[in-house]
Amino acid sequence: MILSVGAVVRVGALLLLAVVLQLSALSQLNVFGGHADLVVLVVAAVAYYGGSVPGCAAGFSAGLLLDLLTGTTMGASSLVLTAVGYGVGRFREVRDPSHGLLPLVVGTLATVGWVIAFAAVALMLDIGARVSPLVIRDMIVTVLLNALLALPVFTGCRKLLRPSLAVDPLEVRRRRRPPREAGPLGLRGLEI
Amino acid sequence: MYDRKVVRRRRAALAVFVVLSIAILTAYFGESRGGFFHTLQRGAQEAFAPVETGASRALKPVRDFFSWAGDTIDAKDQNADLKKEVQLLRGDLAEAQTQLRDAGQLKGLASLREENYFPQATAPVTARVIARSSTVWYSTLKIDKGSGDGLRENQPVIAAGGLIGKLTSVTGGTAEVRLISDGQSGVSAQVFPAGVTGVVRPEVGNPEDLLLEHVESGRRVTENTLVITSGFTSSRTESLFPRGIPIGRVTKVDLDELETYQRVHVKPFADLRRIDVVQVLTRKGVAQQAASVGETGG
Repeated sequence: MILSVGAVVRVGALLLLAVVLQLSALSQLNVFGGHADLVVLVVAAVAYYGGSVPGCAAGFSAGLLLDLLTGTTMGASSLVLTAVGYGVGRFREVRDPSHGLLPLVVGTLATVGWVIAFAAVALMLDIGARVSPLVIRDMIVTVLLNALLALPVFTGCRKLLRPSLAVDPLEVRRRRRPPREAGPLGLRGLEI
Repeated sequence: MYDRKVVRRRRAALAVFVVLSIAILTAYFGESRGGFFHTLQRGAQEAFAPVETGASRALKPVRDFFSWAGDTIDAKDQNADLKKEVQLLRGDLAEAQTQLRDAGQLKGLASLREENYFPQATAPVTARVIARSSTVWYSTLKIDKGSGDGLRENQPVIAAGGLIGKLTSVTGGTAEVRLISDGQSGVSAQVFPAGVTGVVRPEVGNPEDLLLEHVESGRRVTENTLVITSGFTSSRTESLFPRGIPIGRVTKVDLDELETYQRVHVKPFADLRRIDVVQVLTRKGVAQQAASVGETGG
């Protein structure tokens, strides 16, 4: 990602929108006890298109904002989302992926990482009460809902971040396609 | 192949953010409620309140649409449950009316004062939910009323006729509610009419099943009895809340093999997963005072 004022403003606006939408709408929409988690998807998208450094910066900022606005223990969400952002960013830097359906896998795995790591942090820091096994059901519902939302969220984030991207994975995929065969239509495949 | 400068910068960025997060966590735990990070949190909540209120109102039709789908599926079960509840309540009502008449006469004889009883000693302030915690591990709500409306920390909050939590943080125009299903919550309660006391604690992740713990040994709790706030002011189970706020109904009592320990399951009256409007129970006089100040000020 090209570091510029425009890029910072774009990512900042994206994270703010995600956090406000999450708290004001998505958290209140119950589907079989769970709900989608837009914030982790947006952090994963920023990391996927921007790399590990923008990824962990976005994770830290989104987590801090989430903790500030929900009144929960400050630093817990930012710690976990920093790790998620860095992990997704490193995956992109090392593997240089370009498949069109990869955001679905990345979004799902990022959500799995987020729900498990956050559960561990919350249990260590705050939870003194008994934990119901239904928590696992809620976590699975969140992962499944995020898998459904991953493609549209990643597409939206890519469109918004595109002017600031140094490398666009979709462009890389287009470049990798084999060149089209030239020549008159009737002669293709006849090796003339 | 690897640019050392890039690798170093990447690692430094990760280290900085991780160390910052841990430092904030440590400082947050170490400070009092008036400390820097708690104040920052309240400031941020106050600053973002108009944005959240606007977003919450704008997105209400979307929420309502999805809730309608869920409600339609649940309606049949709820109808059967409510019919059973009405039958139970008819019996309770007859019993309560008799006891009320007796109690009125006894109070007159003993000159008891109703200082801290629900609903007589409380003045409800109605508020709308504008935000909700985003993970299953914390159960908090944010409402669109604050200290300007007479709200103070630790005041009880009810919805659908049952206790849902208490205020943990109040700013000028917003307040944060910790639900009784939150892992840090504990409400001293009494099983009515038997009088057995205990502490209602949550089972994190299952807001429809609360647990009544620390129940006095030797006293049996029966199913379908009512659980209310105890209102004790000086005991092991000290209560912040006025006496008599309904919490829920006993659904199941698990006994251990020696029948010395009972795990009492309580289903709350309020649906803690779906709350749009709440009532904060301020002390009578405080809310009216705040309202009159607002009127004269405005």
